[in-house]
Amino acid sequence: MTELTPLQNLWLTETIRLREEHAGPLEDLEANRLARAAGGDLPSRIQRRAAWLAERDGLSTALKHWLQGARLALVLLVIFALLSGAGLAFAALSQSTVNVFWALGSLLGLNLILLLSWALGLIFAGEHGATLGRLWLWLSEKLARDAKAAQLAPALLLMLQRRKLNRWALGTLVNGLWLLAMLSALVLLLTLMATRRYGFVWETTILSADTFINLTQALGALPALLGFNVPSMEMIRASGDAALGIESARQAWATWLVGVLVVYGVLPRLLLTLLCFWRWNRGKAALALDLNLPGYAQLRERLMPTSERLGINDAAPEQLHRVESSVSEHASEGALLVAIELDDQRSWPPALPKTVSNAGILDSRESRNKLLEQLSRFPPARLLIACDPRRSPDRGSLALIAELARNASATRVWLLQAPPGEALDSARLGDWHVALQQLELPFADCAPMNWLENGHD
Amino acid sequence: MTDARKAPLKLAVVGHTNVGKTSLLRTLTRDVGFGEVSHRPSTTRHVEGARLSVDGEPLLDLYDTPGLEDAIALLDFLERLERPGERLDGPARLARFLDGSEARQRFEQEAKVLRQLLASDAGLYVIDAREPVLAKYRDELEVLASCGKPLLPVLNFVSSANHREPDWREALARLGLHALVRFDSVAPPEDGERRLYESLALLLENARPQLQRLIADQQAQRLARQQSAARLIAELLIDCAACRRSVVSEAEQEQQAISELRKAVRQREQKCVEALLKLYAFRPQDAAASDLPLLDGRWGDDLFNPETLKQLGVRVGGGIAAGAAAGAGVDLLVGGITLGAAALAGALAGGALQTARSYGSRLLGKIKGQRELTVDDGVLRLLALRQRQLLLALDQRGHAAMDAVQVATPQDKSWREGKLPDALSKARAHPQWSSLNPHAKLNQAERQEQIDLLAADL
Repeated sequence: MTELTPLQNLWLTETIRLREEHAGPLEDLEANRLARAAGGDLPSRIQRRAAWLAERDGLSTALKHWLQGARLALVLLVIFALLSGAGLAFAALSQSTVNVFWALGSLLGLNLILLLSWALGLIFAGEHGATLGRLWLWLSEKLARDAKAAQLAPALLLMLQRRKLNRWALGTLVNGLWLLAMLSALVLLLTLMATRRYGFVWETTILSADTFINLTQALGALPALLGFNVPSMEMIRASGDAALGIESARQAWATWLVGVLVVYGVLPRLLLTLLCFWRWNRGKAALALDLNLPGYAQLRERLMPTSERLGINDAAPEQLHRVESSVSEHASEGALLVAIELDDQRSWPPALPKTVSNAGILDSRESRNKLLEQLSRFPPARLLIACDPRRSPDRGSLALIAELARNASATRVWLLQAPPGEALDSARLGDWHVALQQLELPFADCAPMNWLENGHD
Repeated sequence: MTDARKAPLKLAVVGHTNVGKTSLLRTLTRDVGFGEVSHRPSTTRHVEGARLSVDGEPLLDLYDTPGLEDAIALLDFLERLERPGERLDGPARLARFLDGSEARQRFEQEAKVLRQLLASDAGLYVIDAREPVLAKYRDELEVLASCGKPLLPVLNFVSSANHREPDWREALARLGLHALVRFDSVAPPEDGERRLYESLALLLENARPQLQRLIADQQAQRLARQQSAARLIAELLIDCAACRRSVVSEAEQEQQAISELRKAVRQREQKCVEALLKLYAFRPQDAAASDLPLLDGRWGDDLFNPETLKQLGVRVGGGIAAGAAAGAGVDLLVGGITLGAAALAGALAGGALQTARSYGSRLLGKIKGQRELTVDDGVLRLLALRQRQLLLALDQRGHAAMDAVQVATPQDKSWREGKLPDALSKARAHPQWSSLNPHAKLNQAERQEQIDLLAADL
């Protein structure tokens, strides 16, 4: 088994993409794993995955069969080109008296007309270049023997079409075949002229002899630059009446004919073949997977994940540290209102009865410690703690609430309303309720001022 | 490739409880399933990592940590760890704390965070910008700063109406943290990730090449995703435009055909929505489109659509030139006798024959009293608008967002009133381009070409 070329690899990849697009995703766990393990950039991983899948599903074999067929067809075409080139030469020199312009027409006419149509096709192919492709698709659809290989031809076509490469590939083929045909015609022409004697004439009914002289010389001008003889004016004029028997005239006409064939038949096709081949090779080298296609874009996460989870490296504890609350056993007196972590958007404190003292807003460590110290010396009988339920009920705040509650005989929590124009997040309010229930502290969303003042509701 | 041997940059995502640390990780990793996100405090109680790679090479390890909840008490405790006459620096004090028993009891969660930050190259300090700057946050920052690692504050929830960004900026500046990043993990700004990594690169000069690579790769991928998405939408539009149903003109059968067509289009749209969600790494339930409004179907009289005619007439004329390329080969095979016939045959067999056949059968259908049902222009416009809107929403959506994207019927007029792109009127004349039709030929190069054009339009 020979190694696949880069082009064939791309082709297989495109085939797999089309197959997955039409028949749903393939089972690719192993292929993905292997592609990931092999590393490299994304296109090479996609290709490796495709190559593995293609090998598994027999697509690689199908591709090889296809290539064998293509090679066979090419050989047949080459033979045909050689034969028809020879045929052209035979047709041109079928009789011993050769009408030069008929011979020229038979050798070059078809070639030039097809060359022209090919060039036109190339120029306008931007819009209609797909016609041939469609013919090929249609053919391959009819000829595809199994479903696996059905996407091979479309894949190649799509891939080449994307870079507009098919016209150059085809151009290489067509011009190359014509070049062979022309060369074969040239060789046969030389062989025939080397081994048989031909007389060259031209004939006309309505045109003047000068036209032919000018035409002959004009056609011969380019070949003359390459060293091919042009028949002299007398020779041309004389050939209008009958084939000249002179050796020099025969040779002059023969070299002229060969020169014209070389310059207008062989050379253009040679140059075009080289041009197309060059473009094709250049384009082929630039051929790459179009990673923007949704089919490939979706493979990225599987073959080259941009993010992967690393797992847990410091596990959660079975349970979090619990905050316990209890009630002060000490003799207590008075009522106190304290707020925790209020922002400056609220006016604080609210109007308070004279018997209730205000401990202000607790925020920093210093203010906490100061109040706790004070409370442990003079525990209040009733403590009301105001909280803003927009803050999250974190362990620190709950620990503070619990610690405050431990220093009072009775504690209630006042969950403040949202300031005007805002609404409380009900989920977060629920979190507060759950947390305070765990601390076994009563809570309300309005200030229990009666309780605070008198000890009963 | 000196970078290849470099270990990935390690970042600890730290902050108070409930400020969206896990959300930030979800957004940065584009992984909707990472960790657990909820409104409850202390949702995350473990340290979990995620790795960002470029071209298979790990560049950045991000660690999600539990929230700090009791920083005031912790700082108090840390300060009391110092024995009289002794002066410890931050990391030394933390080391003593982490060895002690409170690091396994009351401050277990805090200890996890500090251990992870100590093991990382830097920390992202996530801030809920809606919160006032409370003393506990300042103490938190002081505890974290004692790890001796660079900290980059990340302001989350900045797209909320009542955020307090200026307060936070001022407070952070007072603590010596001048570089900070605004990054809303639910609706991240378009260049949010780039800014975040650029700010990190300022803090961690050594890691700059890695971070630059990450930035470039994310930019490239964002672009690639947009292009892929445009293609998906273009395929949807071509499929719907080319969709065609032939029905006998009888009221009952017409109604049935219309509802079938409507169902097919609806399903096709849903397929596109799912593909877009998958492309953007969201879950199928993350978007819901409202049902298509009344879809009347379109009574196709576009048998005489210029494009249909062009296919038959002009296309053959143009096809000869192109087909001649094929013809040249064929000509050789027939011995170079006739040039025109073979070239013409090539062109005909290639395209026009097929067209002529389909045109013929449609004409026949018309004579037999059948009518053709296609998707109305308005529906195509609507599909294009909606998918574009969804795409926009997905592009701007963080992977931390919890609610589904609602794609309503948009009011935008640009697609609604302008001329439909040529690709769609071309598709009208090519029933074989639609995956909704039987005998679809989806790989025709022309279809692909039109999809490319339309995708560029989108």
